[in-house]
Amino acid sequence: MSEPNAAVGQPHLMRGRSDVPFYAAFSILGGTYVFLIVAMIIADLEFTTASHVLNALSSPEIRYAIKLSLISCTISTILSLWVGVPLGYLLSRVQFPGKGAVDAILDIPIVLPPLVIGLSLLILFQTPFFKALDDAFPITYAVPSVILAQFSVACAFAVRTMRITFDQINPRAEQVALTLGCTRSQAFWMVVLPEARRGILTAATLAWARSLGEFGPILIFSGATRMRTEVLSTTVFLELSVGNIEAAVAVSLLMIAAAVFVLTLLRVFGSESAFGKAVEP
Amino acid sequence: MLRQFYPGRINGVWLAFLGSIILLGLLIGMLAWPAGEESSKSPLLVYCAAGLKGPVAAIAKEYEKEYGVPIQLNLGGSQTLLAGLEINKRGDLYLPADDSYLVMAQKKDLIAEAIPLASMNVILAAKKGNPKGFKGLDDLMKEGVKLSQTNPDAAATGKLTREKMEKLGRWEELKKHTTVFKGTVNDVAADLKIGSADAGFIWDALLLQYPELENIPIPELDGVSATMSVAVLKSSANATAALRFARYLGARDKGLKEFERNGFKPVAGDTWAGTPELRLMSGAMLRPAIEETLKAFEQREGCRVTRVYNGCGILVAQMRAGQKADAYFACDITFMKQVNDLFMDSSEISTNQLVIIVKKGNPHTILDLKDLGKPNLKVGVGHEQQCALGALTKNMLEVAGRYNVVAKNVTVQSPTGDMLVNQLRTGSLDAVIAYASNMTPNKNELDSIGIDIPCAIAVQPFAVGKESANTQLSMRLLEAIKSGASEERFRKNGFNWQVAPK
Repeated sequence: MSEPNAAVGQPHLMRGRSDVPFYAAFSILGGTYVFLIVAMIIADLEFTTASHVLNALSSPEIRYAIKLSLISCTISTILSLWVGVPLGYLLSRVQFPGKGAVDAILDIPIVLPPLVIGLSLLILFQTPFFKALDDAFPITYAVPSVILAQFSVACAFAVRTMRITFDQINPRAEQVALTLGCTRSQAFWMVVLPEARRGILTAATLAWARSLGEFGPILIFSGATRMRTEVLSTTVFLELSVGNIEAAVAVSLLMIAAAVFVLTLLRVFGSESAFGKAVEP
Repeated sequence: MLRQFYPGRINGVWLAFLGSIILLGLLIGMLAWPAGEESSKSPLLVYCAAGLKGPVAAIAKEYEKEYGVPIQLNLGGSQTLLAGLEINKRGDLYLPADDSYLVMAQKKDLIAEAIPLASMNVILAAKKGNPKGFKGLDDLMKEGVKLSQTNPDAAATGKLTREKMEKLGRWEELKKHTTVFKGTVNDVAADLKIGSADAGFIWDALLLQYPELENIPIPELDGVSATMSVAVLKSSANATAALRFARYLGARDKGLKEFERNGFKPVAGDTWAGTPELRLMSGAMLRPAIEETLKAFEQREGCRVTRVYNGCGILVAQMRAGQKADAYFACDITFMKQVNDLFMDSSEISTNQLVIIVKKGNPHTILDLKDLGKPNLKVGVGHEQQCALGALTKNMLEVAGRYNVVAKNVTVQSPTGDMLVNQLRTGSLDAVIAYASNMTPNKNELDSIGIDIPCAIAVQPFAVGKESANTQLSMRLLEAIKSGASEERFRKNGFNWQVAPK
């Protein structure tokens, strides 16, 4: 998550036989997990055929689900960052009464079973204020509910990540900027945020991935109305429940492809152009 | 790391932030852009079990095309949907995988009418070709056989299997040999398809969705079946439109055909009609008690009820002459028995006491049946053949041993009790034997004298015609007549209520 410092980042040369068992053991332990993931994807590929994937892609319902998934996840991610960056900064840099409580509250969306989040949102929107809001601007069982459900969970991950990021940034540079005449805001925009680049990227990645996989809250709070609130994870569930396992797997593979594509894109753009040029001397 | 601040140079982070605002705006715009032309008619929200998506989506599409009413299917597990609509109290129809969920919804007071669609049997299924060679229940208990079934507390197949196996005394054994209990019957079918289980209990209707599986017939599961229905939610803001689509789903020439194509055994549904018509033949005495209920029923269902009120003897004669009735509400059980062959089993709705009715103040001092034999008294009774009232009166007088005494004073026999009361009010009669309900509209002008004989009572049964094209609609009319609002109207009109509370 944090930038490896120069000493650790140097490629290690094997200096003698004694290192081999060490690397072997680490490789085996780490490798099992990589193997598990790859094996699952291969098994998925075995279970489906190209025609199933093409069939899935040709269905207007699934195309809608892909579109809604990509757009809603991106919106949730942006919203999560807008909230995550300031909240993470406050938690990292400012001492205020009730900080422990806020910290604990932020754990709730991470700890709770996703179904409970959906249920809680649904109940929340039955209270007078939110009900009135819902009546004026439909949220429950409509597209905004998908984004709200994703945001409710994804944002917690963004906040956590941003907090750790700001914790790891040495406040010295910021203080120097302040003594040189920057306001708190200028110091934040010009010094802290560029340094937090990788953290923001990680937060965005986590929030986006989390949103894409979100299923339980959406099923309860948004329903699974085709061409309306159906996202890819719902599609998998719907296809499964009619016995169409091949299509469910095909859609799962599409999700994997979409995730890899977007996350790679984010890394490439994030690491170089957008932040890089302004920061690197 | 700190960079110099050059005036006029845009900070990259600011750029990224502004970019995120623009991106957000663009994305929201993309979502808000209408995907297709929106229909002007308000849509119906249907909570539909995900496993029924195939037929229901096809029927909904057809309905949209035909009537331009958009149908939104909210798909999910029956239980999940139920939990959602309990909290949200929104939506128009609920179509769970089987009726056990409707019972739960009923207990929570979430649903109004239910229209049955199809029935399904629990079967033992295995991979096509039966590779493990299952022949009977005993084979499931063998070593190395992986059996998957639904959790009996969560899904209907599991519940029905447990009930039957407990009856046979084999449940404990079967439970011991069950490898896994799943939450839904589709999970069990998926187990069989993937191969993580060898055998499982599923609905026969699922076989069409899972061509990789086959039915292993075992006698233990004969007759283990459930019905599937669509229910109108109490939360529905447009119950008439919801009912209309529900009727379409359950119409034998519309929705049910699609269910049949998908492997379900459809029930005997009604024939589709945009505005269906019912012909109700009813004893005249029931009119004041049912008229309001019929009006409300017509409005809610969007149907027309043609009422034929008359003395029951006349109604029976009409029916015998070939007049068809979708439903028949008789003044007394004796007049139902005469046409039993035309109707399904009847339900007793109300009772009506026979009483002696006289003018207010009882000017002739009539205290019991015997007094009706007083000299020069003008007595009116129901016509012995034309109506239940007359037949009952005759029977009662014979049982009491007063028939001959009263008969000599009988000046008129009318086909309905209302006519007798009118004649009494005009002064052409001194006393009449009629139903307690007949005096309700003119309580202030009349007095009644009770008759203390057990058979002095009429029981009103309601039955649905066997050859009706609208059996289901007529059944719902029966439910409307059995409802609490209807009970109030019956009581207000002097009837006693006979329907056992649910």
